[in-house]
Amino acid sequence: METQIAKTAAATPRFQEFWRVFRSNYMGLVGLIMLIIVIFVAIFAPVLSPYDPSSTLNVTTADIYNPPSAAHWLGTDDAGQDVLTNFIFGARVSLTIGFFAAFISLIIGGVFGIIAGFYGGRTEELLMRFTDIMLVIPDLPLMMVVIALTKPSIFNIILVIGLLYWTTTARMVRSQTLAVKSRKFVLRARAIGSGKGHIIRRHILPLVLPILVVQAVLVVSSAVLAESTLSFLGLGDPTALSWGQMLNYAFGRGAMSTGAWWALVVPGFGIVWVVLGLTLLGQGLEQILNPRLDTHHLMPGRPIVTSEAAKVIEKVSGKRPLLEVQNLSINYVNNGKPPARAVENISFTLKEGELIGLVGESGCGKTTLMLALLRLLPSAGQIVNGQVFFNGRDLTALSEEELNTVRWKEVSIVFQGAMNALNPVRTVGDQIAEAIIKHIPGFPRDKRLQERVIELLELVGIAADHKDHFPHQYSGGMRQRAMIAMALACNPQVIIADEPTTALDVMIQAQILELLDSLRKKLGLAIIFVTHDLGVVAEMCDRVLVMYGGVTAEYADVDTIYNEARHPYTQELLKAFPDLTKPKKKLSSIPGYPPRLDALPAGCRFAPRCPLAVDRCHKEQPLLHKLGAAHFASCHLLEASK
Amino acid sequence: MTKEHFLEVQGLKKYFDAGRPGLFSRDVRYVHAVDGVDLQLRHSEVIALVGESGCGKSTLALLLMGLEDPTAGIVSFEGRDITHLNDNERKDLRRKIQMVFQDPYESLNPTQTIEEIINEPLVVHGIGNNKNERDERVKKALEDAGLKPAEIYLNRYPHELSGGQRQRVVIAAALVLEPEILLADEPVSMLDVSIRAEIINLLAELRITRQIAVIFITHDLGSVGFFADRVAVMYLGRIVEIGTMLEVLEKPQHPYTKALISVIPVPNPRLRRERIILQGETPNPIDMPQGCRFHPRCPVVMATCKVSDPPFVALSKTHQAACLLLVK
Amino acid sequence: MKRWRDLLGKIGWAFFTILFVIILNFFLFRILPGDPARAGVRDPRLTRENIEAIRVRYGLDKPIINCFESLNPVKIGSCAVNPLDTQFFIYMGNLLKGDLMISFHTNRPVTDILSERLWNTIILIGAGQILAIIIGVLFGMFSAWKARTTLDYASLTLSLVAWSIPTFWLGVILLFWGSNNGMPIAGMSTPGMSSYPFFTRFGDIAKHMFLPTLTYTIVYMGEYMLIMRSSLLDVLSEDYILTAKAKGLSIFQILKDHAIKNAMLPLVTIIAINLGFTVGGVVQIETVFSWPGLGMTIVEALNRRDFPVLQGAFLLIAVAVIAANLLADLAYSYLDPRVKTE
Repeated sequence: METQIAKTAAATPRFQEFWRVFRSNYMGLVGLIMLIIVIFVAIFAPVLSPYDPSSTLNVTTADIYNPPSAAHWLGTDDAGQDVLTNFIFGARVSLTIGFFAAFISLIIGGVFGIIAGFYGGRTEELLMRFTDIMLVIPDLPLMMVVIALTKPSIFNIILVIGLLYWTTTARMVRSQTLAVKSRKFVLRARAIGSGKGHIIRRHILPLVLPILVVQAVLVVSSAVLAESTLSFLGLGDPTALSWGQMLNYAFGRGAMSTGAWWALVVPGFGIVWVVLGLTLLGQGLEQILNPRLDTHHLMPGRPIVTSEAAKVIEKVSGKRPLLEVQNLSINYVNNGKPPARAVENISFTLKEGELIGLVGESGCGKTTLMLALLRLLPSAGQIVNGQVFFNGRDLTALSEEELNTVRWKEVSIVFQGAMNALNPVRTVGDQIAEAIIKHIPGFPRDKRLQERVIELLELVGIAADHKDHFPHQYSGGMRQRAMIAMALACNPQVIIADEPTTALDVMIQAQILELLDSLRKKLGLAIIFVTHDLGVVAEMCDRVLVMYGGVTAEYADVDTIYNEARHPYTQELLKAFPDLTKPKKKLSSIPGYPPRLDALPAGCRFAPRCPLAVDRCHKEQPLLHKLGAAHFASCHLLEASK
Repeated sequence: MTKEHFLEVQGLKKYFDAGRPGLFSRDVRYVHAVDGVDLQLRHSEVIALVGESGCGKSTLALLLMGLEDPTAGIVSFEGRDITHLNDNERKDLRRKIQMVFQDPYESLNPTQTIEEIINEPLVVHGIGNNKNERDERVKKALEDAGLKPAEIYLNRYPHELSGGQRQRVVIAAALVLEPEILLADEPVSMLDVSIRAEIINLLAELRITRQIAVIFITHDLGSVGFFADRVAVMYLGRIVEIGTMLEVLEKPQHPYTKALISVIPVPNPRLRRERIILQGETPNPIDMPQGCRFHPRCPVVMATCKVSDPPFVALSKTHQAACLLLVK
Repeated sequence: MKRWRDLLGKIGWAFFTILFVIILNFFLFRILPGDPARAGVRDPRLTRENIEAIRVRYGLDKPIINCFESLNPVKIGSCAVNPLDTQFFIYMGNLLKGDLMISFHTNRPVTDILSERLWNTIILIGAGQILAIIIGVLFGMFSAWKARTTLDYASLTLSLVAWSIPTFWLGVILLFWGSNNGMPIAGMSTPGMSSYPFFTRFGDIAKHMFLPTLTYTIVYMGEYMLIMRSSLLDVLSEDYILTAKAKGLSIFQILKDHAIKNAMLPLVTIIAINLGFTVGGVVQIETVFSWPGLGMTIVEALNRRDFPVLQGAFLLIAVAVIAANLLADLAYSYLDPRVKTE
């Protein structure tokens, strides 16, 4: 039954998996290469450098600040020494101090962070307050004072940087520990009977470690910078010629006035190289750790592809329904790979005052379809076929500006999870008023606007005094009501409701559904109701479109769907849905899982899970067959019964 | 020790500190998460604990697991009070009571393989003399949880599995300790409808093949139907109605249960019925209403409801509800 | 009620931190090696009596605190000393009076020296910070809006490079360039300028400020750019931006009314946290350009072992950073309704 997984390749080791991702991250790769080069230079310094760094003998005044030449590729410095040689050996000092100091600070920060995050309470309070204090004390002046009062030796510098640079690590590790600790698998580990040590070792550490690695990279770069700064200010170890020390000597001993730019540029270049390499590596690792699609809602959408053939058929029809979706297909562009066919050839109509249900499991393309109606798809989404007619206008052919007069004014949306769909830093009333101002140009912006907002809020059952509250002050149910009030603000003809009751309690869900139903009757709204819940659909809808894997499985009026379903998927789904009127009935489940959009089966998309599938189903995609006046289903088995 | 009730809960309460209402205020306020719950569980019995979010059902589960300490009350297992155990006794008890969590995406450590996940409880408890013995138990647990053949899954990571498969892994990790009680906290609410029945059927099977008693916590009365023996309905920290599955679903007596059942959608448009929709939202459990805690939302509220807290009224040998309308 | 409690808590916490810094500041100079008197006035001609006289003059003959004669080396002393007659309490008492002792080097009160120099630093930080924020935020905004375009990659690379350049080195390079192109190379003004009319003097200072401010701006704008970019990217992928788009708002309206404010909020805290690091940058810039501010004062005092000035400057900087942090914290809780209205 779960053979799906058996067919895929054997599990890949974690490191290989990491390397595969890392390789395609240019930032991290460039950083790593830069770092490897400098480490190589530091290790093989004696081989690479043209002169012996300790030879200060035989230097005459004529050797001081010589410009680059064949003998001295990068010139000589204030002591007549070869700049290239000192530069190569300087890498050793800077890197040693950087790595050791980072090591100390990571140990302190890591231990503090994990203890504070894991144990919480007073321990956490104490440790974090101490960290906060250390964080505000300006670190450079403090380091300068401490090193000036003690002795500027490499050991002291490492110690001071290490003891001062742990604060950010401690904070990062603590918040990561807190985040891991609150995850359910830690609770499950406790439920199994694991002790604290076991949980820290097996569950917290493995998940904190990646953060610590990123942090390590960044702390090394800060430590290298700190060392060079201290050295430049004359607080470096006089016996170790680091890059900062070289700059200190050059700046303090006349490189500026003699115009010896090479003595100033070369060591600085070394510091920038190391710090930039580490920063790039750190950023790259960070990106892998917290992958973020660098996409957002304001990116330009992809051009719409419309077939000319569809437009011709279009002109024949007579009286038009309010909304008419014709053969709409949507792809997700998948860089390099063939596009994912998220929605294919969906058609439906919506009349005035009608409520149509769009039902399907997660990943069936219902939300994509809904967003495409108003062309709100994410930037990877592309309409590749079909049209959306609203009052006879083809929405797919409008410009963004023209479309903006249809959005919300004619067709508005109630989104799922209204917490995130409302702007958290603006009041609810303000956000409702915004829609009115935008779409009703002449609307007076005085008391009448406020009255209209209050009227809308009261329409959905929110008291007027909540108008100036922020979304976080509302409960989940109230936010959903506010979202509905906002959707009604410009008296639209159509409302698209995208899972408006998911994540709400049953009673609140019932309240919202009843509200929508009564508003529909009162205002004559047409509603597209997107949901995964067959029960809700049965309670409210006039017609139902059942989607599976991006295509229409069955499309009919609500009574037909529930009592005379013909598509095997609809039939099986109904059997899996619990029915309170028959409590003793054993539920049956559909074996397997819904298909992933990037790995759709070759034939009928339901075939791998279908109890009635025959050979043909695995090879050929079925057409949508008309079974009655307004009853359609896509299944090979229904071909004969047309 | 009563043989029949091997898990017994008496007057269980859990209050969380909610801070002071004001800077100079003396009294500390409390969240009454669980506020006096009595419950008995028999061997291999399935009880469904139903309620909306904030009714205290999840806190009750954590109390039963010993993952939270109760403010008052007793939980006894096989006649022994288990609310005040030391770490070793607690650890031994863990082998008897196991838990399945709501979110299968969150309840598996992403850095462990399936084998490590299932093997972990055995290592923690030092079960099994050698690796072979442990491997056998791990495989048996996986196959009992419906992941056959086990070998395919052992070296995989959770992210390579689907939601339903992950929930099976969580169940297998609980089964490997051979528990007597399984607490399932909303085990199917995050799964697709077509997968839900599969997990519920698995739990129903286990109570028959392994004699495991199940406490099934859910907000969805519809899903408890065919495998729960008894149903308990919770509201604001307390059980308001308890009875056999058919008694509660077909003859509900408490107005809250009635409303809850009436709003559950029936998947048949021909059976659309009158719904009792309660207005407002569940009050926050800090400022508990006086009298009956349901009275502010009750459609059939009486004057006395605002004053006196209703007692449990026995309606049959197995059916009880806490409502003043039922007091004769 | 809760707001007032939070406010009091924050102010109290800032005071506690300042107290911590004061105590640290006092003991640091006494735990670490080096007799302040001997180190401060290095002169081989000094006799034992002279040194003793200096010790008396700076109050260094008194026990450090009850039970301790000195801390390095640790010398246990009498615990029965009048607490008011110990160095610690005298120091605290003077602090309360606003007295930061007298400079070893110039014999002027430290308070006078610092108050002179403080303004120069504030001018430099103020100008640099404002420019860095404006440029950084603007670049960050465009980068996020045009994410994954050439413009984005270019400004990202530029910011990362700017972020990796050591402040002092950039200063040195700019100074090198400037000195060959007729820019002033040191100080705040040309000597003898004080007799010239106001506008000439102003122009002169502006000319002197150009390179230090440029250094400051380049070094810090990179970071602000990176933060603004990621913050705005986060906001722009939020659901409420999709709502705004569905509402038919234009891209400009969405950015103006729904995105910028939300994205700027985290920046407030980060600017405050950065102030601590900023001070480090200022020390470097002032040293390179001989800008007579607090940073240069610290470096000078270090070289002359002028501990009272060093102590005073360190304390002043720490208090300024703590105060700025407090202000940012309060500003944040005022600006973000999620914190303001509980």
